Amino acid sequence: MISITDDIIIRTVSRVLIPFIQVYALYVIMHGHHSPGGGFQGGVILGASFILYLITHGLEEAKERMSELKAGLLSTFGILLYSGIGLLCLIMGRNYLDYGGLSTLLKVIPAQARSLGILGIEIGVGIAVMGVMFSVFFDISTGGILPEDEEDLGVNR
Amino acid sequence: MEITVLVQTTDKAFEILEKARDEARELLYSSAKLTSETKSLVEKKEARAIFSDARQKRLAIRNFIITTFVLFAFWILLSGRFDAFHLILGIICTLLVSYLSHDLLFANIRVGDIRIRARRFFAAAPWFLGQIFSANLHVAYLALSPKMPIDPQIIRFKTKLESDISWVALANSITLTPGTITMDIREGEFFVHALDRKVAYDLNTGEMEDKIAHVFMEADHIYIQDVLDVARIFGALK
Repeated sequence: MISITDDIIIRTVSRVLIPFIQVYALYVIMHGHHSPGGGFQGGVILGASFILYLITHGLEEAKERMSELKAGLLSTFGILLYSGIGLLCLIMGRNYLDYGGLSTLLKVIPAQARSLGILGIEIGVGIAVMGVMFSVFFDISTGGILPEDEEDLGVNR
Repeated sequence: MEITVLVQTTDKAFEILEKARDEARELLYSSAKLTSETKSLVEKKEARAIFSDARQKRLAIRNFIITTFVLFAFWILLSGRFDAFHLILGIICTLLVSYLSHDLLFANIRVGDIRIRARRFFAAAPWFLGQIFSANLHVAYLALSPKMPIDPQIIRFKTKLESDISWVALANSITLTPGTITMDIREGEFFVHALDRKVAYDLNTGEMEDKIAHVFMEADHIYIQDVLDVARIFGALK
C-alpha cells in the first residue's frame, strides 16, 4: 500500500506538473494522424500522470481522483468506442474499420471521413490504454495485501 | 405590641417578596442575555460559514478558469496548428484536463494574488539570474585555482516561508545556484550542502529567502492581505 510521500519537493512538483502531462497526453492522442504518436502512446502518458499522482499522493487520495472501478469502466468504454466505429463501418456496407463508409453518415468527403474515423479510433484506444495502465498499476501496488497483513510481511511502503 | 409584631412580619414578608422578585428579574435578564448571545453567535457562525463557502466556490471557479487559460497556451505551444478544428479540439481537451485537475495547479493561492505574484516574479527574476551568474564565476574560480580552497559543509536552517510551493521554489533556487544543493526539507527545516564558506555565508544572510517571501507574498505580506480580506467581508456584511 502506497502512502503519501513525505518529500515535499516531489509532492509539489508533481502536483504542478500533472495538468501539463495530461494536456501533453491529449495532444499526442489528438495529433496522432499528423505527427508521431497516437492513441496508445497518449494513453500511456495519460495513465502515467494518474500513476504519478498515486505514487506521490498515496492510495487514499488517488482513489478519489481515479478509482479502480472508474479505470475499469473507462477501459471498457474505450474498447466499445473502437469496436463501435468499426461496426458502424460494417453497417454502412464496408469492411470492418473501413472509415470511407462513414462519409455518408458524417456528410463529408471520404478522405475527411477517414481522418475523422481514425481520430475516433485513437481516442478510443487512448481511453482504453489509460484505464488498463492505471488498473494494472493499481493491482500491482495493492498486491492483494490487506492493511493488517502489512506489519507481518514488512512491506508497508 | 401585637400590632407592631404584625407590622414587622408584614414588612419582612414584603422584603422577602421584593428580594424574590429581584432575583427572578435578574434570572430572567440573564437568561434573555444568554439566549441573545447564543443567537448572535449562531448567526455569526452561519454568516462565516456562508462566506467561507462562497469564497471556496469562487476560488474553485477562478482556479478552473486560470488553469484552462494556462493549459490552452501550452496546447498552442505544442500544437502549432491554427485551424478551427484543432483549436476546438484544444479547447475541449483543456477543459477536460481543467475539470480533472483544477485543484492541483493553483492550490492554496488567495483570491486576487496571482497578478501581483506574476509581476513580482518577473521583477525578481533578474536578481536570481545575476546571483546564478556570480555563483558560477565563484565555483569556476574554486575549481580552477591550483590549491582548490573548498570547505564542504552542511548547513541547516529553519525557514520562515509557509506554503509548500514557496519551499520548493526556495529549494530549487538554492540547487540552481552553483555551489549549493538542497538535500532535504523536513518540516520547514532545510538541509543544504555548501561548497565553501563564502557560499554558505551568502545563504545564511537569508537574502534569497526574503526575495522568495516577497514573490509569494508571505511572512510580512500575509498580515496586510488578511486585513484587506477582513475589510471586504465587513463591507459585504454591512
